[in-house]
Amino acid sequence: MKNVELLFPELCNIYGESYSVTYLQRCNPENINVIETNHKSVPAFVSQDVDMIYLGCMTERKQEMVLKALRPYKERIQELIDKNVIFLITGNAIELFGKEIRDEDRRIECLGLFDFYSVRYMKRERHNSQFIGHYGDLTMLGHRSQFSFAYGDFDNNFIDIERGIGMNPDTQKEGIHVNNFFATYSLGPFLILNPYFTKEILGRLGLDQKLCFEKEIIEAYDYRLAELRRTINAGGRL
Amino acid sequence: MLRFYFALWVSKLAMWVLKLRGSTEDDRPGLLANKICPDFLAKIAKPPLVITVTGTNGKSTTTALLNNKLVAEGKKVSFNEWGANMNAGYAVNLMRCVNIFNKPVYDVSILEADERLLDTTMGMIKPNYILVTNICKDSLRRNGHPEFIFDIINRTFEELGDHTTAILNANDPISSQLAPHSRRVYYGMTDIGANPFENRVKDIAVCPKCGSLIKYHYRIYRHIGDFYCPDCDFKTPQAKYYVSACDLKNRKMTIVEDGEATEYPLISDAVYNVYNVLSCIAVLRELGEPKQEIADFMKTQQVTKIRETCVEYNGIKYYTYGTKSQNVSAASTVFEYMAKEPSDKDLVFLLDEMQDVNHPTETLTWLYETDYEFLNSPNIKRIIVGGHMFLNHKLRLLLAGVPEDRIVCIENEADIPKYVERTGIQKVYVLFEIDFVSKAFHMRDAIVEKCKEEDKKNEKR
Repeated sequence: MKNVELLFPELCNIYGESYSVTYLQRCNPENINVIETNHKSVPAFVSQDVDMIYLGCMTERKQEMVLKALRPYKERIQELIDKNVIFLITGNAIELFGKEIRDEDRRIECLGLFDFYSVRYMKRERHNSQFIGHYGDLTMLGHRSQFSFAYGDFDNNFIDIERGIGMNPDTQKEGIHVNNFFATYSLGPFLILNPYFTKEILGRLGLDQKLCFEKEIIEAYDYRLAELRRTINAGGRL
Repeated sequence: MLRFYFALWVSKLAMWVLKLRGSTEDDRPGLLANKICPDFLAKIAKPPLVITVTGTNGKSTTTALLNNKLVAEGKKVSFNEWGANMNAGYAVNLMRCVNIFNKPVYDVSILEADERLLDTTMGMIKPNYILVTNICKDSLRRNGHPEFIFDIINRTFEELGDHTTAILNANDPISSQLAPHSRRVYYGMTDIGANPFENRVKDIAVCPKCGSLIKYHYRIYRHIGDFYCPDCDFKTPQAKYYVSACDLKNRKMTIVEDGEATEYPLISDAVYNVYNVLSCIAVLRELGEPKQEIADFMKTQQVTKIRETCVEYNGIKYYTYGTKSQNVSAASTVFEYMAKEPSDKDLVFLLDEMQDVNHPTETLTWLYETDYEFLNSPNIKRIIVGGHMFLNHKLRLLLAGVPEDRIVCIENEADIPKYVERTGIQKVYVLFEIDFVSKAFHMRDAIVEKCKEEDKKNEKR
């Protein structure tokens, strides 16, 4: 049995992204156990071995609540990354793993596990775009809808963007990938949007790679990829 | 002021030219006025009464009811019934209220206001009342999330201070917390036995004061209900206008105000429309309108045609039903209604957003925020989906547990009518994205036409 910890769904499911975990479990319900952890509880990963940890997008105020909940376990998170535990981090949850979030004059200290910072632009129009990118042999699709961007070198990026933008409008590097730690600004739900990557995750969990409604999800992915190739411009705008 | 008068005159001339051409529902003169004079909305004189209605859902229905009532009693009311709810629309609305010398000639302006832009406009307009219907999940691309919208509306009230009365939904744990420094009037509802389904994605889950999970004595729909926090003093405020009983089937409710109960008619059997009528009554009562007069007026009202229509042919009713696709709360609420409305029915989805037709790469996030699970109901016989998102809808419906033999997903919307079957159904609902009213009418008519042709062929045989 593989334990997948879904962190703080009461705070971090604002766009239904927890469905990535729901879908993963439906691919192999006999062998995947989902542990849902409330932000006022001690995460399961602190005291037991889990196989995968998922954290999704949240509001700006909730970022600070989640930081408060995770800060005591910063070293443990680093240890789990080093031990090749799978992490999937989506949306603005990625910002929590950098050094700080800048919001006008405020500086919000983050976990500092990776060398980058984020800047909120709450008074600007919300940024919406899509991307096509590559992770190894896989063609990845992404959708971002956000008030902020991240800045840094991103030498360990997750996805190389082919069309669209990366962590900010001036880079084609998207997300973070270290060992089995995968983080991206993309919403989705990410594992629905990227069925081949879902297979990859199932494989890394040591499970059969058969997907739930495999024919239908692959057809939807192929159609979307073709549609995006026709319509998306270099900046990711539609 | 010279620039303002130039803007007023040029825009009024443009309005007049458009009117001559038969186009009265056009906000381009407002666009022009704001361009010539950026503080046009501040400088234009206001009528004696300005009412703004904002919030995620229910604005159009509520403003239409308010307008109809005030017009019915002979007041001159400026109202953008076509839903122009941004700066240019406000400018047109207010321009109508004044003559060329900037003197008010109307009694009332009713502004349906987009909540996203409230803080950049209402400080200039300074309405007497702002009614906030609710704050729910909406399009993530434009509105972000409810906390973001809350902050915008709250900034607006902070700026307006004592000048504006806030009329708020006591049962909404989000919008009820607005305007702490303004005069607040609440409307609310008792437990009407609505038994709402649980939503996959919550509009609000934790207490904004202490972070504990919010609890409910009862819910009406989504996050709307009698809420409290088990760990602090966060709870439903007391409502001045309180629905003490509601009979959806017979379309009537009782509102208690200062201890006195009055019965009012409802305009539909949908629970969210109870709040639309209730909030409208709250505003009218604040204006001093007599209770019985309001009750008599409500008997004459129905849901606006841009939201719902019905034609009947050969024993089956064919509806168009506004659904607001990427507005997650509205779509889920409609799906819940479709499951609970007991008729056996077919559903047709026309839910692609207008902006996505020209750029056909709509995101699929909203499908997983919306409760497609509600559609797995035995009275929903078939779900027919057309458009470029057809494969995504199919996957989502399958994941929601809808049996495959009840799902028809096709790329070309024009082919939809041939998949509508009449055996064993009483109703067909065309659920449409509200920017596509005429497209929905055409689809409904095409379905009816196809049925008529089938009947003709059968008669010949």
